[in-house]
Amino acid sequence: MPKLQRSQWYDLCRDMNWQFKYVTDDEVFPEALSHGHGIRPAAWWSWDEPYKISYGEYVHNQAEKEAGVYSVRSALARSRFFENLDPGWKAAIVAHYGVFAMPEYLATFGEARMGRFGRAAAWRNMALFGTLDEIRHGQLQFSFSHALLKKEPRLDWAHKAFHTNQWGAIALRNLFDDMLTANDAVSTAIQLTFIIETGFTNLHFLGLAADAMETGDVEFSTLISSIQTDEARHAQQGEPTLRLLIQQGKKAEAQRLIDVMFWRGWRAFALLTGPSMDYYTPLAHRRLSFKEFMLEWIIKQFNDQFRDLGLERPWYWDLFMDELDWLHHVFHLGIWYWRSTVWWNPSAGVSAAEREWLEAKYPGWHDRFGTHWKTIAENVRQGNIALTHPETFLIVCNTCQHPLCCAAIGAPPQQLTRDGRLYTFCSAPCKWIFEQDPARYAGHLSIVDRFVSGQIQPPDFDGALAYMGLSAAEQGTDATNYAWALEQPERPATVAT
Amino acid sequence: MAMVPLQAVFRGDCLTLLVPVDDQDRMDVVAQKVAHHVIHRRLPAQDAPMRVRYHDRVLPTHHTVAQAGLSPMSFVEVFYDVREREHPGMDRGSDPG
Repeated sequence: MPKLQRSQWYDLCRDMNWQFKYVTDDEVFPEALSHGHGIRPAAWWSWDEPYKISYGEYVHNQAEKEAGVYSVRSALARSRFFENLDPGWKAAIVAHYGVFAMPEYLATFGEARMGRFGRAAAWRNMALFGTLDEIRHGQLQFSFSHALLKKEPRLDWAHKAFHTNQWGAIALRNLFDDMLTANDAVSTAIQLTFIIETGFTNLHFLGLAADAMETGDVEFSTLISSIQTDEARHAQQGEPTLRLLIQQGKKAEAQRLIDVMFWRGWRAFALLTGPSMDYYTPLAHRRLSFKEFMLEWIIKQFNDQFRDLGLERPWYWDLFMDELDWLHHVFHLGIWYWRSTVWWNPSAGVSAAEREWLEAKYPGWHDRFGTHWKTIAENVRQGNIALTHPETFLIVCNTCQHPLCCAAIGAPPQQLTRDGRLYTFCSAPCKWIFEQDPARYAGHLSIVDRFVSGQIQPPDFDGALAYMGLSAAEQGTDATNYAWALEQPERPATVAT
Repeated sequence: MAMVPLQAVFRGDCLTLLVPVDDQDRMDVVAQKVAHHVIHRRLPAQDAPMRVRYHDRVLPTHHTVAQAGLSPMSFVEVFYDVREREHPGMDRGSDPG
């Protein structure tokens, strides 16, 4: 019996949409979980994914990918590739596993919610593959990090991080709850798959895989490449959802969802990817600066998509563009100085050659940040290591939960009082996000709120480290044991006579 | 005597800190407590008096935290008053600096 071509049966098998007779539409798709924006049910049935795949093809492809990535790991298991990696690159991947492994599992919730409460069968079908993808991504990254535990015990944080009250974990939980574990299907399609996956992580993973290969970390490169191919497929749930909302006159709602998550995504990206690209990746292996990468890949793509979809750039676009020059440098300085509060060894990345590179890529870097690092380096050279460690907390933003950065541009924090509680924000967009849905965000306590309200005992810096789950052996230290500061100190320029 | 946690930045630094002070601390003490976390750590010292700014107002040195109306998590900026060094004795109690 001859087989039909996929195009001859795909739509028929996929489109299991029907009118409900025995239950209401709202009982099948409750607003809190689905959020149909008042669009009539049958209108959603025109949702069509750009990337079509059958279940058989999916299983076949995934099996091949799994075989490929695990064979590379097996081949490398007996080598000493990890021991030979640059300390800065190790910082990048130890941080990466703690940040990304568990959220991959959390993304399963978001995909599964779309797989059940998406308004069209085609969408639910695609989300099912997305659910399976995210389970695979979680398992892959737990498996790979676990295999390296004997060489780097802090890779345990791949699993541990999200179960602690470490400040970054609190920030990430807040973000991922907002984006996917506590989000409706339509908002998840736009905020997770269109903004974060299509806009940020898909491209980030492409760059990360290339950087890993360049640095000699073939295992990590293979892993990330394998994940990226899945992301590129299931991330395409966002665009048809956006198109449908716009066609149905819901452009303003779509724009608001984008504006909220673009800002949140940007801040997470600046905190995690910025330092990795511009400070942790060995200088010889840097292809693009973080800003160049953002301009060439992320921003160009967003601009094209906003234009093609008839959407506007987020209202804070000029502010965002300005931050490309300084935000991640502030975050890096904060992470390095507060290195005992993270589970990786941050590379300072400010040797003389690296400072030259930073000044070339970010004209004015010396004026903005040179004095800070020079003061720190001088303390290192004089043996005053205690002065390179903090004795108090950084204030964090009540929306993004990241260290307050506004002092870098001489701006005071944004504040508001609600029900007798004072909230502090790093920027106008973070305050605006909070004001979009105060009830959604108001109950959350930042790490600073917890300290001030007496939840952290004893109420001092050591008490905070214990609260964050960081034993002495787990606290970050300088990646190169201060080699960058101990190199030949700068000498004043010789004046020609 | 009560502890008042402040949000504080030292001008020139790029990070905002949680700095516990006492409600009876004078502003020169508040400035010292903020400077402790910044000067000689990320910024060099300067030969100039330190002042505290709150809501676009430079607070008189002799005012206490309570007198200045600072409450928990109020935001203050501490800075070196270079003009005071060059022209000592000038009253800058309400000078935005």
